[in-house]
Amino acid sequence: MNASGIKTGLGAYTALFLVFLYGPLVVLAILSFQTGPEGGPQFPIIEWSTYWYKHLFGLTPPSRIAPLPIEQALVRSLGLAVMTMIVSTVLGVTAAQAFRRKFRGSGVVFYLIVLGMMVPGVLVGLGMALVANTLGIDRHWWSTAFVLHVVYTFPFAFLVMLAIFNRFDPSMEEASWSLGVTPARTFRKVTFPLIFPGVLSAMLFAFTLSYDEFSRTLFASGRDLTLPLAIYGTFSVEVHPNVFAFGVLTTLFSFALLGTYAALMMLSVRRAKRVAIQEEA
Amino acid sequence: MSTVLQLKSITKTYGDMRALSGIDLALPGDAYISLLGPSGSGKTTLLRVIAGFEQPDGGAILFDGKRIDTVAPHKRGIGFVFQNFALFPHLSVAQNIAYGLENRDVDPVTDRRVVDARVRDIISLVGLSGLEGRAVTQISGGQRQRVALARTLVTEPRMVLLDEPLGALDANLRARMRAELRAIRERCGVTFLHVTGSEAEALAMGDTVLVLESGRIAQSADSDTVYNRPASPAVARFLNCYNLFQGRIEAGAFVGGAGRFALGASAPTRAATPAYAIRYDRVSVRPRDAAIGEDEIRIEANFVASEYSGAAVNSFFALDDGRVFEVESHLSHAAPETYAEQGRYALVWKREDALVYA
Repeated sequence: MNASGIKTGLGAYTALFLVFLYGPLVVLAILSFQTGPEGGPQFPIIEWSTYWYKHLFGLTPPSRIAPLPIEQALVRSLGLAVMTMIVSTVLGVTAAQAFRRKFRGSGVVFYLIVLGMMVPGVLVGLGMALVANTLGIDRHWWSTAFVLHVVYTFPFAFLVMLAIFNRFDPSMEEASWSLGVTPARTFRKVTFPLIFPGVLSAMLFAFTLSYDEFSRTLFASGRDLTLPLAIYGTFSVEVHPNVFAFGVLTTLFSFALLGTYAALMMLSVRRAKRVAIQEEA
Repeated sequence: MSTVLQLKSITKTYGDMRALSGIDLALPGDAYISLLGPSGSGKTTLLRVIAGFEQPDGGAILFDGKRIDTVAPHKRGIGFVFQNFALFPHLSVAQNIAYGLENRDVDPVTDRRVVDARVRDIISLVGLSGLEGRAVTQISGGQRQRVALARTLVTEPRMVLLDEPLGALDANLRARMRAELRAIRERCGVTFLHVTGSEAEALAMGDTVLVLESGRIAQSADSDTVYNRPASPAVARFLNCYNLFQGRIEAGAFVGGAGRFALGASAPTRAATPAYAIRYDRVSVRPRDAAIGEDEIRIEANFVASEYSGAAVNSFFALDDGRVFEVESHLSHAAPETYAEQGRYALVWKREDALVYA
C-alpha cells in the first residue's frame, strides 16, 4: 500500500472512531428536542420543541409524565463527587509525597493502592454491602458509597501526583531548607505551588470518576440514589426524552468543568512556554 | 584565624561503596576554600553531609564549636548554592532573594521595608540592579548564578557551600564569575567552600585548596604548594600537569618501565606507592644526537601529535612501552617547533625538577 493509501485508511478509521464516540451523544441531543408530551424517544422528530427542557424544570402544564426524580440525586452526586475529590486528592498528594523516598514495603503498598482501581466495581460494591450488613452499618451515599468512591479514585490521584513528583527537582526544597525554612513551610511555599497543575488534574480525575460512578454505588449507597442510579431507575419504567434533555445539560456541565480546567492549565503552560523561549534566546 | 567548621573522621557509605572514608578537616573563618576532586571522589557527598541533606554514618561535625551532625538542615545556618542554581521558578528575582528572610524559622523579617532594603543592598552587591521584577526564567545563566548567590548571602550565613557553582556556565562567563565570586566573598566576610572538578578553578580561587581522593583528604595547602609539590602521586595525576612513572627506588635511582632515572639531592616524598613525576613544562625536546648536561635525564620517544592552545603547545610522545608522555612548551619563550611525525626525539629534564615519591 502506498503512503496516500495509508493516509486515507487512517483518516477513515479516525472518522469512524469519531462517529462512534459522538454518534450516541448527537442522537441524544437531537431527540431531546422532540415535541412533548406525546412525542417519544425515537425518530422521526414530530416537531422541534424545547418542551422536555421545560419539563425538567417543571415549567410545563401537568401531564401524565411525572417529572424526572433527579433533583435530590443530582445534589447528592455533586456532594459526593466534591467530598471524594477533596479526600482523594489530599490522600493522593500525601501518598505520592511519601513515595518520593524508598521505604520498606513500598512495593506492596504501591500495589495495594493501585488495586483500588483494578478490582471489578460490582464485586467491591457487593462486598461492601455484605460487610455493612454483617457489621450492622447503615448504607448511605455519604458513608459506605463514599468510602468506595475514595478507594476507587484515590489511585488515579496518586498516579497523577507520582508522575508530577517524578519530574520535580528536589534541590529546590533543599535550597529552601538551607535558607532556614522549615520543611512544612517549604512544602507550602515552594513544593505546592509548583505541583499545583498536577493537583488540579488529580482533582478533575477524582471528581468526574466519582460523579458518574455506577457499579460500586449500586450496592453500597442504600436507599438514597445518586444521579447515575436515579437515571437508570427511570429507564425501568418508560423512557421519555426528558432523560435526553437532562443528558445534554450534564454534558454541558462537564464541558464547562473541562473548560475551566483547560483555562487554568493554559495559564501555567503559557508561563512554562515563556520560560522555554527565554531559555533558547 | 578561628575555626568555623570542623569535621572529625566523617564516614559515609552507600551500599558497598565508601563515599567518605574518614574526613578530618578544620576550615577557618573568612576564607575562600576550594575542594578539588575527580568525579566520584565524594566531593558532592561531603558537601551534602555538611549541609545536612545526607546523614554521615560516623564522625562528628562541629560548626562554631557546636555539634550539628544531628541538627536538621534548616537549623544549621549554612548556605548552599546548587550547581543547577535551584531557583524557585514561580517567584521573581526579588522574591527569590527575599524568600529566606521572610520564611525562615528563626528570626524571620516581617517588616516589608526592612526586607526590601536588604534585598536592594544584596542585589546591588551581586550586580543584578534593574532585574528585580524579572522572572528567574527570563534571565541568563550568569544572572541566575548571581540570584542563587544573593538568595543565600542575604540570610547572612556564617558559611556558604558551593557545589560546582560555575559548572553550568560557559567558559567565558566562568572566568569572569571566578573573580566576582572572590570579590563578593571578601565583601561579605563569610567562608566559602567551593567544590569543583576543575584543577584550574580550584587553584585560581582557593586561599586553601583541599584535594579529595577516593573519600579522603589527600592534600590541604595553598595553591602554589598543591601545584608545585603535590602530596601524593594521585594528587599529581589529578592536577593534569605531571608525567608519572611507576617503579621503585634502587641505589640512588628510580627504576621504572621507561628506564633508570638518577635522583637529585632532595629527599623523596612519603607515599603509599613509589612514583616519579615530572611536570609537562619542565621537559625539553631535543634532537636525538644532542648532548645532555650532567644533571639532566634523557629518554627517547616518538612524536605523535601536538595541540596548540595559544600561549602554549602541548606535544604528545609515545614511549617505547606505549605510554604517552606530554610536553608543554610556552610560546613566550620560543616559536613553536615542528616535529616530524613518528620522528624519534630525546626528552630531557633536570634531575632536581622531578618529584619522587617513595
